[in-house]
Amino acid sequence: MSVSFIVFISGIIVAAASGLIGSLLTLRKMTLLSDALSHVALPGIAIGILFNFAPIWGGVAFLFLGALLIWAIEKKTKLATESITGVLFVTALAIGALLIPEESLLETFFGNVHLISNSTAYIQALIAAAIILVTLRLLKPLTLTSIAPDLAVASKISRTQMEILLLLLIAGTIAVGISFVGVLLMSSLLIVPAVAAKNIATSFKGFVGMSIGISMFSLCVGLILGNIYSINPGIATALTSSVLFLISLFFPSK
Amino acid sequence: MKQEAPILLSVKNLSLSINNNHIFNHVGFEIHKEEVVAIIGPNGAGKSMLLKSLLGIVEPTAGVIQWFPGIRIGYLPQRFHVDMYLPMTVAEFLNLKPRKILTNEAVLRLLKLEKSWLKKKLSHLSSGQLQRILLAWALLDDPQILLFDEPTENVDIEGQESIYTLLHHLQDTTGLSLIIVSHDLQVVYRYANRVVCLNEKQVCYGEPDKALNHETLSKLFGDHTVFHHHHL
Repeated sequence: MSVSFIVFISGIIVAAASGLIGSLLTLRKMTLLSDALSHVALPGIAIGILFNFAPIWGGVAFLFLGALLIWAIEKKTKLATESITGVLFVTALAIGALLIPEESLLETFFGNVHLISNSTAYIQALIAAAIILVTLRLLKPLTLTSIAPDLAVASKISRTQMEILLLLLIAGTIAVGISFVGVLLMSSLLIVPAVAAKNIATSFKGFVGMSIGISMFSLCVGLILGNIYSINPGIATALTSSVLFLISLFFPSK
Repeated sequence: MKQEAPILLSVKNLSLSINNNHIFNHVGFEIHKEEVVAIIGPNGAGKSMLLKSLLGIVEPTAGVIQWFPGIRIGYLPQRFHVDMYLPMTVAEFLNLKPRKILTNEAVLRLLKLEKSWLKKKLSHLSSGQLQRILLAWALLDDPQILLFDEPTENVDIEGQESIYTLLHHLQDTTGLSLIIVSHDLQVVYRYANRVVCLNEKQVCYGEPDKALNHETLSKLFGDHTVFHHHHL
């Protein structure tokens, strides 16, 4: 079963957004956060399936709620973001697995490109393109807040605004990404390409560019391999980006 | 002449508590144009937090901070941990600064650094070199006053010496005012017009020669002060 052209193009744009946001996440050491956050989508997807509307919208709603919840809890307590997301992660996974009908569980976990309708693909492409535009426009303050929060605040950049913006961008990226690679494999587009790029790059520009490139390439190869060998494209994508990561380890450390 | 110079910063009755812990209480001082004010005290006395309050990074619990209207403030933080694997060049880092007035090259010239520094990777710099790049960062918007939080660790003596030589040189050439957070009495005697002694509350304030005496020093560092500061 082949993937329609528009779904393919939409996937490439989604992968580009993932690579871009992923590069910012590795700067902040927030790599687990995106992983955990993607699980927060599960109960939302479950509600979509149970009440017969496109599961992606349930996922979107829960992701944004989850992102704001993480931010609010982080402000209230002194717990690290990673600890909070760890708790949310298992809770959401358990609730999701409980509510989602067994026959839909696998595709929710690992994605199913064949279920993406053309109209959904258009919307995903638009959201991903918007994420890319906003991120590139605010790349400097987002980067500075990530690597040197004090310098950012001293330069009159609002840390709160940047943190909420980044969480919303992550949530948006995951929302459009999970129908391609599933809830469990979202990191193969978000984190693995960025970490591989970090191994290779000598400049920040190169790092961000390579992260985007590796993410796009992985999804592209994943979709093609999935098509040829009739395997789940999400799993093929994850394996591709992991292989690229392995290769990046052999680059001399800069 | 110092008395006629405009007041760049006036701090009155400033207090800061975090989660009901008093960080510092009732701090007050002024800094005029082209002056150097040193803030000294033992570790944990609230010096860095005082600086962060002045910069608006933390919100003080009480008191008044009055900056000269429209003043440009530079900040040299105590610590800047660069991820060892961060792929970023010095130029890329300096370009992250919003509202630049000077170019990267101009700032490097001020610091007597070669242009080739722009291509170096941030993660390859030693702590002393990184501190100079942070100083370059602080100078990019041509500040009228610089807030310098002296590192307590990890900067080689040579690095520390040259940063003060640089600051002094900048002060001479550009008329930059300085607020220095230090734990080194030598720095205070050598560079400061006035000193604020901080140990949760303000223990002394004034010209170093008058403000620092046996009594205030023992309030600051305990009775073994003499040994401590010779060591530093």
